[in-house]
Amino acid sequence: MNLRTHVARAVSAGLLGAVVVLAACAERAEDTIVVGLSADITTFEPGMISSRDNSNIAEHIFGHLFVLSPEGEHLPDLAHTLEISEDGTAYVYTLRDGLTCHDGEPLTAEDVAYTFNRIGDPANRFTGNAPGFVFTSIGFQGAEALDDLRVQINIARKNAIAFGLITEIDVHCKDSYERMTLDEAASNPIGSGPYRLASWTRGSEVVLEKVREPGNFQRIVWRIIPEASTRTAELIAGNVDIITNVVPEQIEAINGSGRAEVQVVAGTRRMYVGFNLSEAHRQMPGGEAIQDARVRRALQYAVDVPTICRQLLSIECERATGPVNPPNGNPDLTPYPYDPPAAERLLDEAGWARGSDGIRFPIRLQAGQGRYVNDVNVVLAISQYLQDVGLDIEVDFMEWASVYTPLLRERNTGPLFFLGTGGGVWSPIYDMTDMAEVGSGTNYTQWDDERWFGRWADLAEAATPEETRSIIDEMLQVFYDDGPWLHLYFQPDFYGVSNRIDWQARRDERVHVFAAGLK
Amino acid sequence: MGSYILRRLLQSVVVIVGVTLVSFLALQAGGDPTYLFVSERASLEEIETTRRALGFDRPLHVQYLTFVGDLTRGDFGQSLSYRQPAMDIVLEALPATIELTLFSMVIALLLAIPLGILAAIHRGTAWDGSITTFSMLGQSIPNFWMGIMMILVFGLYLRWFPISGHVPFIAPMMNGEFGVALSNLPRTLLHLILPGIAVGTYSLARNTRLIRSSLLEVLEQDYIRTARSKGLPEMRVLIHHALRNAWLPVVTIIGLEFGFLLGGVVVVETVFSYPGIGRLLFAAINQRDIPLVQAGVILLAGIFVLLNLVVDLVYVRLDPRVKLAEGRA
Repeated sequence: MNLRTHVARAVSAGLLGAVVVLAACAERAEDTIVVGLSADITTFEPGMISSRDNSNIAEHIFGHLFVLSPEGEHLPDLAHTLEISEDGTAYVYTLRDGLTCHDGEPLTAEDVAYTFNRIGDPANRFTGNAPGFVFTSIGFQGAEALDDLRVQINIARKNAIAFGLITEIDVHCKDSYERMTLDEAASNPIGSGPYRLASWTRGSEVVLEKVREPGNFQRIVWRIIPEASTRTAELIAGNVDIITNVVPEQIEAINGSGRAEVQVVAGTRRMYVGFNLSEAHRQMPGGEAIQDARVRRALQYAVDVPTICRQLLSIECERATGPVNPPNGNPDLTPYPYDPPAAERLLDEAGWARGSDGIRFPIRLQAGQGRYVNDVNVVLAISQYLQDVGLDIEVDFMEWASVYTPLLRERNTGPLFFLGTGGGVWSPIYDMTDMAEVGSGTNYTQWDDERWFGRWADLAEAATPEETRSIIDEMLQVFYDDGPWLHLYFQPDFYGVSNRIDWQARRDERVHVFAAGLK
Repeated sequence: MGSYILRRLLQSVVVIVGVTLVSFLALQAGGDPTYLFVSERASLEEIETTRRALGFDRPLHVQYLTFVGDLTRGDFGQSLSYRQPAMDIVLEALPATIELTLFSMVIALLLAIPLGILAAIHRGTAWDGSITTFSMLGQSIPNFWMGIMMILVFGLYLRWFPISGHVPFIAPMMNGEFGVALSNLPRTLLHLILPGIAVGTYSLARNTRLIRSSLLEVLEQDYIRTARSKGLPEMRVLIHHALRNAWLPVVTIIGLEFGFLLGGVVVVETVFSYPGIGRLLFAAINQRDIPLVQAGVILLAGIFVLLNLVVDLVYVRLDPRVKLAEGRA
């Protein structure tokens, strides 16, 4: 045996040894929790964050004036009190004493005012959720520091959900951000939250280190694992503690592994089939029929939603009664039952009897694909149910991002369209604001019932919580009876959780691990 | 030689501009990307503001010509999602993909050469049959399926290798952190084994078949018969006379292989959560981050064009009968 052979064998043996040793050393430290996310993180610029995965991490880094509990209650965070002016346009928050930024500077009212004004500054051309949704929804006018601890946020008009929306703003620290360019700020977040950014390997992982309470782990590692089966494998192998977006087909494998379990929560995303009631869609086949509220009501009876949940989503669900997430909906409403004879009777009464071919009217059902849990099969099931009561359904699946979304945003999907829109648990009004105005961009149905839209002014002027609640219930009754949605379900969210971790998933897609701990 | 290289480089500029045009049009054909950059509750007014902020309100030809104009100044634009210089982001992801590509190439070559030779010199035997069957399987099995199967077997059940992720080696080397790079090396290799095999299997199978068929063809030539009749040892005939000539088609393929592998790791990088250029571009395409896609495409096209040139030059070196077309277009 010559020298080369010896060397080659030694290298091979060493490599193999290293493989085995490293594989054995792959156990995680007990002060570290690893979360597997499905989507890439693109920025830590508070003004640019728009995806849920991105904001889940950011919410650990940045403090907020108030924070939303899993139960939908707003709790003090950086601020401990709020006073709202009589006309409802000035929100004065008082900060807690002794707050600090991750750069070591004290966090004062000036930092909070700077945060709001920086995000709202058109020169920065931010397009994230904060300027693009929160600020326009509340009519943000500006923010000013009244003294070291009090900051005033001015909005254009009284707004019942402004307080909740303002809590979404990630408070950042003036001195550091003034020193950074926008490019630098996108990858160097300086916040005041319980964790600070330790490292970010783009496309791979984000590591956070604890700087203050709350938080049971010293380190949080967010790993980007886009492929669902790989996330599942990492969870079962014990390399990851929590994974998001488990696909229903893998639930059994996780639960059967003995190392992890799937937590299923009814999310806040409202799934429905919309009726596009615009004039343009009235001219299309079936468009005239769905203008009649009796037809829309009939179709509610035609679809067996609990069976769809059980068979296609692997959950037991209660059918939705409107756009508002439980427990904030109208308690007097009961979900439409699956009752095809009732559907047939109502369709007959509305003047849409079956023809000699058994068809009442043709209509198109449009849907994007790959966006929601098992969406293609859900849409096919719905179309079959509707065909059973005599509709001739043309199902039109489209690529989600490039085809369906533009059509939707231009309010051109339909006459029937399948959709899920995000909601919340902290206010019924938040869930109802999709349709705050007939012309609102999110009123994809172009419904214009005065009994709904005429009540928003009353809602704004309501003097007591009881009066507000009464108006909401009346509006939801109208929505239930004659509304523009065929009610389906609140989309379930599936999380895989390692058996070593004690953590409870929330309904609102927020993955907060402050309270997570070892079992 | 110099003028040939210069002319080829000039031609490559035309190729790259063509590639940017095609990818630009393909991305635009998917519709207005503005909707991907706004909140799902954004109003029509906010959508319009964002459209203007991103520059999608301008006519297509203006958008493209602006991009090309900026390109001539070395400005590849800002990524729409990352809000950072697009080429910086692509270059950040490139070392990981180069690691994976090189590792796959090494696997594909180191195994393909002995397997191809073995099959050729034992033509018609069980050796040949087994290697040919393996090659056909290797070319038929989709790499993402193989990746998932390997994750299940070697990552999950046997737990021999990491299931996903990446430990950098080239990046710290480039930053001058040699100690970090060397200490990372064992874990880098460990993380490369499964994705490397998934990526490299197709090439391994193809190269094996190519070496086999090329060698078989050469072994039939008169000069091989002459060498044998001179009484040269079989190994000498094989290595000095047959293999050298059998190399020519193999070199062409191997030269371009790097480019193919570089652009072809998208699915495997996604399956193994490997943060390389393939996954970056895949996400950028989904997000319609046009500047980022363009920067990636330009880089990949440039590498591919350069490899083509290198292959041509190596070809001349290997086969004196081949001449470069010095004076012709």
